[in-house]
Amino acid sequence: MKRFHIILLVLIAAAIAVIVSLVGDFSTYETFASAARHPNKEYRVIGELDKAMPQVYEPQKDPNYFSFYMKDKAGNVRKVVYLGSRPTDFERSEQIVLTGQMRDSVFLSTQILMKCPSKYKNDQVAISQMSSTDSHIAK
Amino acid sequence: MTTHYIGEHLFPGQIGHLAVIIAFISALLATISYVKASLLQKQNLPDATSWKKLGRAAFVIQAVAIFSIFGLLIWIISHHYFEYYYVWEHTSRDLALKYLLASLWEGQEGSFLLWAIWHAILGLILIRVAKQWESPVMSVISFAQCCIASMLLGIYFFGYRVGSNPFILLRNAGVMPFEPGPNYLSMIRDGAGLNALLQNYWMVIHPPVLFLGFASTIVPFAYAIGGLWMKQYSEWVKPALPWAVFSAMVLGTGIMLGGAWAYESLTFGGYWAWDPVENASLVPWLTLVAGIHTLLVYKHTGHSLRSSFFFLIISFILVLYSTFLTRSGILGDSSVHAFTDLGMSGQLLVYLFVFLIPALGLFFYRYKHIAAPSQEEPLHTREFWMFIGSLLLFISAVFISFTTSIPVWNKIFHTHMAEPVDREFHYNRIQIFIAILLALGTAVVQYYKYKQESWSYLRKKIAIPTLIAFVACVIFGWLSEIHYTKYGIGFLTAIYLLFFVSIYAVVANLSYIVLILKGNWKKAGASIAHAGFALFLIGVVLSSAKKQVISIDRMGMMDVFNFSNKNENPRENVFLPFGVPVQMGDYDVTYIGDSTAPGDPKIYYAVQFADRRDPSKPLFTLYPDILKNTKGMQGYSANPHTQHFWDKDIFTYVNYASNIEPDQSDTARYYTHELQVGDTVFLQNGYLILKSLYRNPVKPVYHPAPGDIAVAAELSVFSGGHSYRADPIYYLRGNEQGAIDDTISSLQLYLHFAGIDPQAKKILLAIKQIPPKDHFIVLKAYVFPFINMVWLGVAVTILGFLISLIHRIRQQIGSRSSIKKSSYAVQEMET
Repeated sequence: MKRFHIILLVLIAAAIAVIVSLVGDFSTYETFASAARHPNKEYRVIGELDKAMPQVYEPQKDPNYFSFYMKDKAGNVRKVVYLGSRPTDFERSEQIVLTGQMRDSVFLSTQILMKCPSKYKNDQVAISQMSSTDSHIAK
Repeated sequence: MTTHYIGEHLFPGQIGHLAVIIAFISALLATISYVKASLLQKQNLPDATSWKKLGRAAFVIQAVAIFSIFGLLIWIISHHYFEYYYVWEHTSRDLALKYLLASLWEGQEGSFLLWAIWHAILGLILIRVAKQWESPVMSVISFAQCCIASMLLGIYFFGYRVGSNPFILLRNAGVMPFEPGPNYLSMIRDGAGLNALLQNYWMVIHPPVLFLGFASTIVPFAYAIGGLWMKQYSEWVKPALPWAVFSAMVLGTGIMLGGAWAYESLTFGGYWAWDPVENASLVPWLTLVAGIHTLLVYKHTGHSLRSSFFFLIISFILVLYSTFLTRSGILGDSSVHAFTDLGMSGQLLVYLFVFLIPALGLFFYRYKHIAAPSQEEPLHTREFWMFIGSLLLFISAVFISFTTSIPVWNKIFHTHMAEPVDREFHYNRIQIFIAILLALGTAVVQYYKYKQESWSYLRKKIAIPTLIAFVACVIFGWLSEIHYTKYGIGFLTAIYLLFFVSIYAVVANLSYIVLILKGNWKKAGASIAHAGFALFLIGVVLSSAKKQVISIDRMGMMDVFNFSNKNENPRENVFLPFGVPVQMGDYDVTYIGDSTAPGDPKIYYAVQFADRRDPSKPLFTLYPDILKNTKGMQGYSANPHTQHFWDKDIFTYVNYASNIEPDQSDTARYYTHELQVGDTVFLQNGYLILKSLYRNPVKPVYHPAPGDIAVAAELSVFSGGHSYRADPIYYLRGNEQGAIDDTISSLQLYLHFAGIDPQAKKILLAIKQIPPKDHFIVLKAYVFPFINMVWLGVAVTILGFLISLIHRIRQQIGSRSSIKKSSYAVQEMET
């Protein structure tokens, strides 16, 4: 066996070992209920903002505390605490991806990703002065 | 009956679409002709030349068509022809001229066009310089042009739309809210505009450079394919090498320009976030650099030819893969800046396989014919370790691709895997070890010789640099004070190891230039590039491991979880009430005001930094801003502002501000005061004096009517060591009274002249001041130590590439003219 083949085998073995360990890092999408089963492990939970429930962000008191309620894919609503500032445009988000863990009945989030209405799909031509539009069409 | 629409300019669009079709057909024709020419050339048949000429003509026509498309797009954009969807979607009337180009490549079509332009230019150069390689190389490039041109076609074949036409009309794009009448264009006052985040000079320079990098990977690829196809397995190496160096140089520059952009104007908090889009452009660069090294090995020793083929082929394939990832919409949630889906993912996938399958098929089919010396390279030679280095680069690329491709794995295996929760550490914990080995390699391997066991030579020559590096490591290791314990002592050890090895690489490469090359700069390209890479690594280590968040909040009250350790609640945002200094690191930081300018969608927040030990002297003021109504977001997005020092950067951005949601902050009330001239009113942080009253005031916002009786109050306001003047106006127009208010926005002071009592010689002045606690920003601030090392390292690396590129081109010209000379000599002898 040539040295090249030995190196290749060693590298392939090492690469497989590393890739297995990389897969170990991969996260999964969970619901609040399934995340609660492993309270000290971080997960990603997808859901949408529950607009009927209060949002609290009072920077005067604590600029690193933002709480709101999210409804996950299974339809359960939980309180979420994010240790940071309230993301701008939060209300408009269609979908929220949280990273974090369950603590008692609260989801403690370290990262919020928001999916806002796409700029391409929902584009509508803005027309200035709709009244003048009518008169033009009337002609 | 067809409607006649008023005011449309259809001519440029018709010409444009015609040009797209011409570009497509002539690229197809060029492909066919060049393939035919190559096949004939392979058999040494005489007709090859006429086919080649036909191919040339077709390619030139194609290039002219591509340039015309570009010119026409610029034309319709600069004339604000909003009847075109592309113009409407990506520009607006108020867009500054300098962002015209940026708006051109905001969309997918424009960026494909950019790619096609670079291919066209590279093709025209190759027609001039490629000589006997012209036909096979141009076959590949013409075919690629054909594929890209089809991305702009926008024509339906059997119900499937091929490409997206940039000249499509707004009324045909399916975005109109009503059936367009003949006069619809008069109602389209303005376009949707360019995303405000993209309105900066980085957007003007980063995409062209990056796309030149992407586009140029096809040249070494085409040479490699040409070599396999023509069965000239070794002759392609020499002409391909400078192209590979050029491509790696430009692609690397493009990637790091993207990093600089992210750092300067996005709020990732850094220049690299292992974002899938960033990774997708890094991976082909890694394999390309691996390919350059194996090409060099082959050139000097005859080894590693097969791996050279492999690396250069996959570099281009990976560029296609990266295009697929970023443009098909498959990355979706996992990336901040992927393009959105244009419905072309199927087409993109087809092109990926159209190149992948024949290229790798040909490679494996001809694998046995590619020369490989039966004798293995000895252990202590340069070629052996260069080959190992290339393998390491390749392995690094494999690891990065593996995680970046999670959405692809999910599609193939129907799994639901998500990105790692801690993305950066996920990549860093592996890549740091590869970086350590690579840095060590760049330090040591060049001291080996090609083709001979040179262990004792290496030991002798490397002793002095090693000694210097050892001393440097002790000194800088002691000075560096890296205490990055977030991921434990193991990772900290790796960080120190990388730091030391990088210092070693800088010293060893500089020593090599001085001791071995005796200062011969022409040959020092590789050493300079390696030293630059090591400097870059040092910059990465120092700026990330010593990166410090200085905006730590110490007041937070809503800590419901009783966090025991700092890592769990890092409290990285600080509350800055107006005018009140807050301690941050070595600074006293004060929010001193904000400003807006008409036509500029930004609110700038002035944040003053003063030395803690001497707070009376402000050191500098930063103006991070918030963008209102960023396109597609309708809300706010933050833009950082950075103070640069030679040894560190102070990086700030505003995460939240009281005045971005004005309805919430405006809880203060007006209080009315009766004042005589000379009276004083105390304010929250200062006082106000009524200096005088005067008639007939002049103010831009006050438009006097005949018969107006107008009085202005001259007010002097003193606050925080500054003085201000305000002139609110009160007027009588017939029986009606009116007022023109004045404000001092930096004090959040609103002044309303409410009335006059002529008998008592008093005026009524209503004053509202928003209290500092309701007038605030939430700021995040970092210190990046030695970030300039990162940019310096990049610049030196590029310089190294450039030197070696010039050296390679000179060699080529030299060898070509020497061939000419020798052929002349032969001719002379014959005559």
